[in-house]
Amino acid sequence: MSFWDEFLSKLYPGALTTLQLLAVTIPSSIILGIFIGFLRVYGGKIGKTLANLYVYIFRGFPLLVTLMIMFFGLADIGIRLTPYWAAALAIIVCSSAYQSEYVRMSILSIDEGQSLAARSLGMRRSAEILYIILPQALRIALPGIGNEVIYMILYSSLAYVVGVNEIFSVAISVNSIWFKPTEVFLTTALIYLAMTTTASYGLKKLERKLWIPGFETGVRR
Amino acid sequence: MNLMTFSKYLPYIFEGSLWSLGLVLGGLGIGFAIGVTFSLIQVYGNPLLKRLISLYVWFFRGTPLIVQLFLFHWSIFPALGIKSTALTTSITVLGLRSGAYQSQIFRGAIGSIEETQMLAARALGMSNWDAISSIILPQALRIAIPQISNEYSIILKDSAICFILGVMELMTRAKYAAIATGIALIPYLIAGLIYLVLTYIGTMFFNLIYLKMRIPDSMEG
Amino acid sequence: MSDEIVLRVKDLCKRYGDKAVLRGVSFEVERGEVKVIMGPSGTGKTTLLKCIDMLVKPDSGKIWLEDLELTDPRTDVSEARRKIGFVFQEFNLFHHLTAIKNVMIGLTKVKKLPKDEARAIAERSLLKVHIDRELWDRYPAQLSGGQKQRVAIARALAMEPTIMLYDEPTSALDPQLTREVLEVIKELAEDEMTSLIVTHEVNFASEVADEIMIMMDGRIVERGDPRSIIYDPRREETRRFFNKIVKIGDELR
Repeated sequence: MSFWDEFLSKLYPGALTTLQLLAVTIPSSIILGIFIGFLRVYGGKIGKTLANLYVYIFRGFPLLVTLMIMFFGLADIGIRLTPYWAAALAIIVCSSAYQSEYVRMSILSIDEGQSLAARSLGMRRSAEILYIILPQALRIALPGIGNEVIYMILYSSLAYVVGVNEIFSVAISVNSIWFKPTEVFLTTALIYLAMTTTASYGLKKLERKLWIPGFETGVRR
Repeated sequence: MNLMTFSKYLPYIFEGSLWSLGLVLGGLGIGFAIGVTFSLIQVYGNPLLKRLISLYVWFFRGTPLIVQLFLFHWSIFPALGIKSTALTTSITVLGLRSGAYQSQIFRGAIGSIEETQMLAARALGMSNWDAISSIILPQALRIAIPQISNEYSIILKDSAICFILGVMELMTRAKYAAIATGIALIPYLIAGLIYLVLTYIGTMFFNLIYLKMRIPDSMEG
Repeated sequence: MSDEIVLRVKDLCKRYGDKAVLRGVSFEVERGEVKVIMGPSGTGKTTLLKCIDMLVKPDSGKIWLEDLELTDPRTDVSEARRKIGFVFQEFNLFHHLTAIKNVMIGLTKVKKLPKDEARAIAERSLLKVHIDRELWDRYPAQLSGGQKQRVAIARALAMEPTIMLYDEPTSALDPQLTREVLEVIKELAEDEMTSLIVTHEVNFASEVADEIMIMMDGRIVERGDPRSIIYDPRREETRRFFNKIVKIGDELR
C-alpha cells in the first residue's frame, strides 16, 4: 500500500468517529447550556448557586484536565467510562458551561417590558419563559453558540489523548509508521479547516434565516 | 501508592505553574504584537495585505491547537532549519494563534471608534499616523482590555495542551505524578484548581488595569 | 352607564426604599366609565396602574376587580390579569412576533383557544384599532410608533378585558402620531369600554373623561368632572398644574 492509500483509508473511519462524536456533543451541550443558562437566571437561590458553581468549575478547568478526570480520575473511584464517552462527556460539560454564559447574558439583555407585557396578558412564568423569553434569547445567543460549535469541532482532536480513534489520532499513528509529518499534519489541518469553514458557513445561513427585522444579535466571544 | 507518597509530588506539580505562566505570558505577548500590527493593517492597509492576514486568521482559528503544535514542531521548523525546543515551539504557536484572535479583537475595537475619532483628529490637522498613534490606538487598547482578559483565560487553558510536546508545565507534571503514584484523580484535580486560581488572579489583574485606565463616565464598557 | 362597580381601590400604599410613592389611594370605577388620572411626573401614577394589575405588589391596601379581591394572597393573579387590559407607555410589543401574532398569542397560549378562532378575534381587534391587513405580518420594528401602540391596544383588547388600563399611552410618541392613538382610545371609550387612563393630554382628557382625578405626592388631591377640574379647580396646586400644561399645550398647537 502506498502512503496515501493507507493514510486516506485510515482517515475514513477516523473521520466517521469524529463526526459521531460531534453528533453527540453538539446537540447535548447546546441543550444543557440553554438549561443551565436559564437556571442561572430563573433558578432561585439553590438553582442559581449550583448552576453558577458548575459553570465556574467547568469554565475554569482546561478541557484537557476535565478529560483526564473523566477517563482516568473517575476510574479511580470505580466509574470506568470508555474513551469515547469520557471524551464526549468532557466536551459536553465544558462547552455547556461556556454556552450557558451566552444564554444567560442574552436573557439579561431582554428588556423588562417584554416580561411585563407577558404577565399583563395573564401568562404564568412558564409560558412567559417558553413563548416570549426563550425565542428571543436563543436568537441573541446564536452567534455565541455558533462560536462554541466551532470550538467543539476543533477540540474533538483532544479525544486522541484518551485513545479515541478520531482524525487526529489517525494522523499520529500514520505519521509514526511513515514519518511524513508535513503531508500528514498539513492534510489533517486542512481537513479541520474544511469542517470549521463549512460549519461557519452553515451557521451564517442559519442566522440569516432566523433574522427578524429590528432584532439585535450581538453577543461577542 | 498512597496519600503520603503523594504529598511529595505537590511541590513538583506547583512548580509547573511557573512554566504554564511562562507559556501564557509568552503567547499573550507575541499575540499582542501580532494582533495590534495586523489589526492596523486590516483597518488601514492595502487590499493584498488584508487578504493575506485574513488567510492567516482563517488558518489559525480554523485548525486545532494540537495539530498546529505538531505541524510546527515536526514539519515547519525542521523544514526551516530551526532547532526549536518544546517550550519555544509552544510559545511560538500559542503566540501565532493568539495573534489571530487578538487581531480581530483590536480590529473591532478600532472600528468602534474609528470614524468619529479620525474625523476629529483630521479636523485638528493631524496626520494619519499621528491620529492613529495618539488618538485611536490608546482608546482601542483600553476598550479591548476585557476581551484581552478573556484571551488570557483561554491561552491559560490551551497551554495545557502543550503537554503533548513534553513541556514541563502543570498538565505534564500532573500526568507524571498520576503515573508515579497510581492515583489519577487527585493530581488532576489539583492541577485544575491551580488553573482556576491562575485564571482568577489574571482576571483580577486585568480588571484592575481596566478600572485604572477607564475614563470616568465614558460610554465604554 | 350602569351602577355596577368594576374596579375598587382602597387605601393603596407602596414605597420604594424610603420613598413613599403611593400614600393611600382610593377610588372606584363603574362599568362603562372612563376615568382619567393626571398630575405631575413622578407622583406614582404608573406605579398605581401597575399595582392594580398586580405587576407590582402593593405594600398595603385592597383592590377588587368586580367580586374578586386581587390583593388576597389566595387569588390566582395570572388568571385575573386576563380581565385587565394593560397598555404600556413603551408599547412592549413582543419583538419576535408579527403584529397579528402579537395579538394572537394571549388567545392561544393563555386562553388556549384554537388557532383559527384566535386568528379571527385578532383580525377583528386589529381592524378595530384601524390597523389594516397589510400591516398584520409586519414585525414591530417595521411599524411606526403610532402603529405599534395601536397593535398593543389591539393585543390587550383581544383578551376581552373587563377594564382597560392605559399608562401614558402617547407619551413616547411624536405629536403627529399621538392623535391617531388618542382617536382609537376615544372610540373604545365611547363604545362603553371601561377605562382608566393616565395621560398628560388635557384636551383629550376633557373630551373623553367622565371624571378626572389629580394625583400629587402619591395621593388623589382633587377629583371631579373635566370642565370644572380643568377650568375652575378648587385647589391651588391643581390650578398651577393646569396652567403649566395648558400653556405648553397651547404652544404646541
